[in-house]
Amino acid sequence: MRKLQIAALVLLAVLAIVFCSMEAGPLRHLQTGLLGILSPLSRSGSAVKDSLGSLGKDLMTLDQLQAEYDRVLAENRRLRAENGGLRDLQQENAHLREVLGYRERSSFRLVPAAVVGHDSGAWWSTLRINRGTRDGIAPDMPVITDKGLIGKTAAVSDNLSEVLLVTDENCKVAAKVEGTKEQGICTGTRSPGGELQLTFLSKLADLQPGQKVYTAGVSGGIFPSGIALGTVKSFRARELDGMAVLEPSADSGGNEEVFVITGAK
Amino acid sequence: MNRILLFVILSVLLPVSQALQDLLPPIPPFQERLQLLPVVFAFGVLALPLLPALWFALLAALVQGLVLLQVQDGQVEIGLTLPVVFFLCWAFLLQMVSESTQGMRWELHAFGSALVTVSMIAGQFLTLCIKRGGFPVDWSVLMRIIVPSAAALLIAPLLYFALRFLVPIAPDDSGDRKPAGFGV
Repeated sequence: MRKLQIAALVLLAVLAIVFCSMEAGPLRHLQTGLLGILSPLSRSGSAVKDSLGSLGKDLMTLDQLQAEYDRVLAENRRLRAENGGLRDLQQENAHLREVLGYRERSSFRLVPAAVVGHDSGAWWSTLRINRGTRDGIAPDMPVITDKGLIGKTAAVSDNLSEVLLVTDENCKVAAKVEGTKEQGICTGTRSPGGELQLTFLSKLADLQPGQKVYTAGVSGGIFPSGIALGTVKSFRARELDGMAVLEPSADSGGNEEVFVITGAK
Repeated sequence: MNRILLFVILSVLLPVSQALQDLLPPIPPFQERLQLLPVVFAFGVLALPLLPALWFALLAALVQGLVLLQVQDGQVEIGLTLPVVFFLCWAFLLQMVSESTQGMRWELHAFGSALVTVSMIAGQFLTLCIKRGGFPVDWSVLMRIIVPSAAALLIAPLLYFALRFLVPIAPDDSGDRKPAGFGV
């Protein structure tokens, strides 16, 4: 019995040393394996959470249902009217493009995904989505919502992926400021506030609150150009460069549906 | 037999607690996240004998380390060394405390969970400060360390009594008297 205990202790020590000396590649493989194990737990947990949430929504009073019905009806009429106008504009746009010889604007191939969990780590901003290699997802693919960029894929397993959010200090995005020639690097901050900082700007950059910031789409980068990143809140000149604080365009915490850009159409 | 069952249940609970804590919403106002894994870990290393407790600590380190693993430009930010050393050290410490108190008690588990949580989050913060530079300590950072630890202190008794109910630990004759001291 004692020999068995000593053998177990030695094996434990050997395994501990092996794990401690692992390089990035094997660690990534191990992480992918763990994500595969967590995948059914996260997916089923998320489904239960959604069911409980919808249960609460279903328990509305008749007055609330009537109010909701009236609101939806009014919105439907407004959207129908807008749709009619947009159809005219689309036809006009197509006509003008044809006349001017514009190429059709390239767009992205998007894979829709549902958020199945937020990383509970205190100092990292990540979330998990229910899409993986089986859906054509690979590491370092941009993740967006209809409001703008929220991050990029990091670890990817068969049907679960981890998304590193733009609000994380490790996620660096080349960015440009609307209406100026200013370009910089946009990152998150360690202090949890959800704000972004745009650094390496010119010290003389005259940025005003409310100006939009978009991805710059540098060659060799992973983020295409023109995706909304945030809005300038403040700007200050530092010793060597200028730094702007941004309000992110997309609220990564409140999103349940996101899209992964897997390539151009 | 009960100990094997307890080890198996706790080993399954580690990834389950990790998945569950990722699903739970953050606590306002600074969006702190609940940490359930340290609570399960503290229970395991207090309830199990030394050798299984060390194996359990290694398993906890693997789950925690791999979930938080960040690889940037081929470089690992915090590898498995820190979690492995951290959880093994805490396993030894809690075992010693458990021995000195003649077995585990719910108060011990609650304080152990809070201490493991506070040292884990603060340790991660210090490591990131060393790796990335800067030391941005403000009120929100302190709250991110304190609130999950206080939450662990409150959650721990619930897990303690739930697991005692699920796995009726009885003294056996194998020579290890730890389960006999498993009490309220």
